[in-house]
Amino acid sequence: MPGTVRRATWDRVPAGLRSLAWLALSLSVLVIPVFDDTWVRMFFLVGLYVVLGMGLNVVVGFAGLLDLGYVAFFAAGAYMVGIWSSPVSPAVDTSLSFWLILPLALVVGAVVGVLLGMPVLPLRGDYLAIVTLGFGEIVRILVVNMTNVTNGSQGLYNIPRPDIAYREVDNVQAFYVMIVLAAFGTWFVTTRLRDSRIGRAWEAIREDEDVAGAMGINTTKYKLMAFAIGASVGALGGAIYAPFITFISPESFTLLVSINVLALVIIGGMGSTQGVVAGSLILIGIPELLQFSETRDALEQMGWARDGLNGAIHAFNTVTTADVSDLPPADEWGEKLAVYRFIVFGALLVVVMVLRPMGLFPSRRRTLEFEYPPEAEVAGGGGGS
Amino acid sequence: MSFWLDQLVNGLTTGSIYALIALGYTMVYGVLQLINFAHGEVFMLGSFAGFGVIVAAGGADVSGPMVALVILLALVAAGAASAASATAIERLAYRPLRNAPRLAPLISAIGVSVFLSHLVDDGFLNGEGRYYPQVFPADTIEIGALTISYLQVFLMASSVAMMLGLSYFIRSTRTGKSIRAVSENRENASLMGIDVNRAIVATFIIGAIMAGFAGVLYGLFYSTIRGSMGFLPGIKAFTAAVLGGIGSIPGAVVGGYCLGLTETVGRELLNEIPGVNLPNEWRDVIAFGLLVVILIFRPTGIFGERVSKRA
Repeated sequence: MPGTVRRATWDRVPAGLRSLAWLALSLSVLVIPVFDDTWVRMFFLVGLYVVLGMGLNVVVGFAGLLDLGYVAFFAAGAYMVGIWSSPVSPAVDTSLSFWLILPLALVVGAVVGVLLGMPVLPLRGDYLAIVTLGFGEIVRILVVNMTNVTNGSQGLYNIPRPDIAYREVDNVQAFYVMIVLAAFGTWFVTTRLRDSRIGRAWEAIREDEDVAGAMGINTTKYKLMAFAIGASVGALGGAIYAPFITFISPESFTLLVSINVLALVIIGGMGSTQGVVAGSLILIGIPELLQFSETRDALEQMGWARDGLNGAIHAFNTVTTADVSDLPPADEWGEKLAVYRFIVFGALLVVVMVLRPMGLFPSRRRTLEFEYPPEAEVAGGGGGS
Repeated sequence: MSFWLDQLVNGLTTGSIYALIALGYTMVYGVLQLINFAHGEVFMLGSFAGFGVIVAAGGADVSGPMVALVILLALVAAGAASAASATAIERLAYRPLRNAPRLAPLISAIGVSVFLSHLVDDGFLNGEGRYYPQVFPADTIEIGALTISYLQVFLMASSVAMMLGLSYFIRSTRTGKSIRAVSENRENASLMGIDVNRAIVATFIIGAIMAGFAGVLYGLFYSTIRGSMGFLPGIKAFTAAVLGGIGSIPGAVVGGYCLGLTETVGRELLNEIPGVNLPNEWRDVIAFGLLVVILIFRPTGIFGERVSKRA
């Protein structure tokens, strides 16, 4: 098991139980591929968003820089792989190996992170949020319009699957294992960074940038570093996503991706790894689950519920002389639910936030920080000035 | 020459809509320091309420002096629907999070936004848009080289009227003063005997009425409405609010017009450069580009003073 430095609520769990939980989680990596392909696909997507969430956590959770344009880095990684390996890529004729492009994608991601980070260095808080959101949209529009490199809105298709030992990886299970390895790698790197001198510098910047600067922290350097590392992780996610899905187009890189990643980081509890996993399971897993045939089958068995509810509707109609129509047949419920999954997603965000404003797994340090309501702070600041 | 005048009028028209929506963003930000992501959806609901009134009145068949009445009713219905939905959103999604970490209400707001836009699109309309009945006479006025439609005149005049009304309300009425006091300092305002919750709800309602009006004007001008229609104008209006200096009411108006003008006239100006031919989507690139440039040189926006440090 890598890493012994872990903080937060997790620390209160007895050590034996802790390693057991990690062991179970690691074993599930091997067990999950036994599931049906659609399930593994879902777990892959959950894993992908765990990677993205941990990357964004570096920017938002560690350094406190609210980034709403994270999709730009995800797109950078995916398009690196697409451009260098898709047969329809207009700019590049050769098709490089995935394993060659992957490190390049990480570097390009970091470069994009620094490039987008530089102009926004003086901005803070909500100004930063809206500018990064703008960057995300600009990158998407650029991808649509740079037809001679990205093939525009037609996208890049037939992206080859990576080879392992000269054999093409063409099953979702292998991709699942790949994303889990990527997640463990990201987790290892980001937690080590958090607990290092760099992590402490980020934390100081997050708490008060001016004071951090006065204490001799090079805020420019560390902020850019946070952007670069977060972006690099985003690009890693994109690079694995592209050969998995084999077709990328600007439509896959909308603001919704940025929103999803930010939401799962915050819903999970900012700054905690378990939180990212839980948030990802809820926000990515549940909407995916609603599209499953298993869900449809289960709902088809709900005819009795429909009869009951229709009875209630009839009674309501006779009493109030209203004209409420019957519910659709139970075998249509699954389809409806698949269509309604974004409605469910939106409602989930609100409900989880209202019930657990600190997220599902808040880190202990942050809980202590927020013991004092923000008003006390505002009033204190006002009195001092 | 007349081409540029047309562009100018177009810019001012979109600018009016941005300005109206931006007012709601900036006022809510002033009192709660919250990016009210659901504001674009409040705008959308207002547009649909107005649509309902116009359709119920007979749609495009309405003619003569009845048009004025129907549009007035549509504006009233839109304002009412937007105000009601904004009040409900504030009560259910924001008030429980008043003392939570700063990002919690933001995520809640995003949740409301996704929920409402998909509820309308997937839940009620099956992903199809609705055609806004064109009740407004399509006539144009010509002043010299300038051709301008009655609709555009109405749109600009009515938005200016609403903004003047708002500025009177904020400056001179009791509720307006309480809103200003709360956005200045919530603690002190409550010590002065101001009912903070009431002021916050009032802020949401006023912002929502502006957005609802903008929704009807948008429907009349762009003629297609859908559940996701609030998204882009919402983002643009927020950009406008930041551009003008978030929290500042004149800033939102100036920011809205600046943004509207820059993205229409700016694209055409760039297209004048030989060899450059930018498609329509570049309006967004220009809008956000302008934002970045302004914020680099003036990080608090045109009229802004307050800088929020926390993410």
